[in-house]
Amino acid sequence: MSLMKAPENTPVWTDESRCKACDLCVSVCPAGVLAMRYDAHSVLGAMITVVHPESCIGCQECELACPDFAIFVADRKEYKFAKLTDQAKERQKKIIENNYMMLEA
Amino acid sequence: MAFNYDEYLRTNKMPTLWCWGCGDGVILKAFIRAIDKLGIDKNDLCVVSGIGCSGRFSSYIDANTIHTTHGRTVAFATGVKLANPDKTVVCVAGDGDALAIGGNHTIHGCRRNIDITLILINNFIYGLTNSQTSPTTPRGFWTVSQKVGNIDPTFDGCKLAEAAGASFVAREKVSEPKKLEKVIREAIAHKGFSFVEAVSNCHINLGRKNKMGTAMENLDWIDSITMPKKKWDALPDEEKANYLPTGILKQDKDALEYCEAYQMVKDAHQGKRGKITPEDFKKKD
Repeated sequence: MSLMKAPENTPVWTDESRCKACDLCVSVCPAGVLAMRYDAHSVLGAMITVVHPESCIGCQECELACPDFAIFVADRKEYKFAKLTDQAKERQKKIIENNYMMLEA
Repeated sequence: MAFNYDEYLRTNKMPTLWCWGCGDGVILKAFIRAIDKLGIDKNDLCVVSGIGCSGRFSSYIDANTIHTTHGRTVAFATGVKLANPDKTVVCVAGDGDALAIGGNHTIHGCRRNIDITLILINNFIYGLTNSQTSPTTPRGFWTVSQKVGNIDPTFDGCKLAEAAGASFVAREKVSEPKKLEKVIREAIAHKGFSFVEAVSNCHINLGRKNKMGTAMENLDWIDSITMPKKKWDALPDEEKANYLPTGILKQDKDALEYCEAYQMVKDAHQGKRGKITPEDFKKKD
């Protein structure tokens, strides 16, 4: 069973035991919230990470696009989502150019 | 609280056996949301699937399920529906499953207009057995059975279903999961044979050899060959062949449903009515 109830103050959370690192959720996110990190234990060598939860706009695109039931977005009643900013859009572009991997800090 | 998919899943079988990024998972999700929105109880739902990657559908959804022989999904489902006319019966089949090996069962299901929903997952290839040419493979594509390029003309499942007499025909793609959910919802709610072609990606067995090796590239290619029906209608005739229209392509609410027709046979045998005559099927004004 995955965690269906949102952990406190979390807009989006993942189930790493189900994620296969297909990059689909990262590709559909408009706000650069998600990215892949290197993970030697995963089959494709990567694992989903929520890098900027504070930018999440709650569009649920990632949840709809995930084929593996591994990503969840909180309800609008539970969490106050942010507005889409230019900075977030810029970050999303860079993440996609970086082959869906996490940007170096 | 996110949407609780686990309520409808056999969670001990997770993670799924499908490849990373496979469209089948997106279709399963859309189907679960559609069932949830329609308020159909799991005990009143029967999911029938055949052989192929789409055959795993019945393993993951926690309803009454049958995993049947290759291509015979509609045949099995017809039996289930005739014995239980009050239950919701949904078939899931791949393009090779329902159009090649079970093509005959599909057209006769359409002809009878029995109240079944057939979700045809079209990924343009035989994915499970590693890239053999399927009836929907586009011309010029690499397949393992035609390594210099496919020369076979392409089949259009929706046109076939429409011509064979299905009363609801629709097509949608996995890159628009919300529209897909809506189409599946309307298909299940429709009384009569509902044919939904879900255009899906197989970037592993179709894409890697055809220059679209990731799910994103394959979905972009699907977006480039599909078009909403309204836009497609406005195209000049010679360009129409290049695109697949998406959305609801046909809906006929007046067609006679097979279970209702079968009730006449039951009544005739029980002496509740006389023999069935051609007059019973004449259209009333």
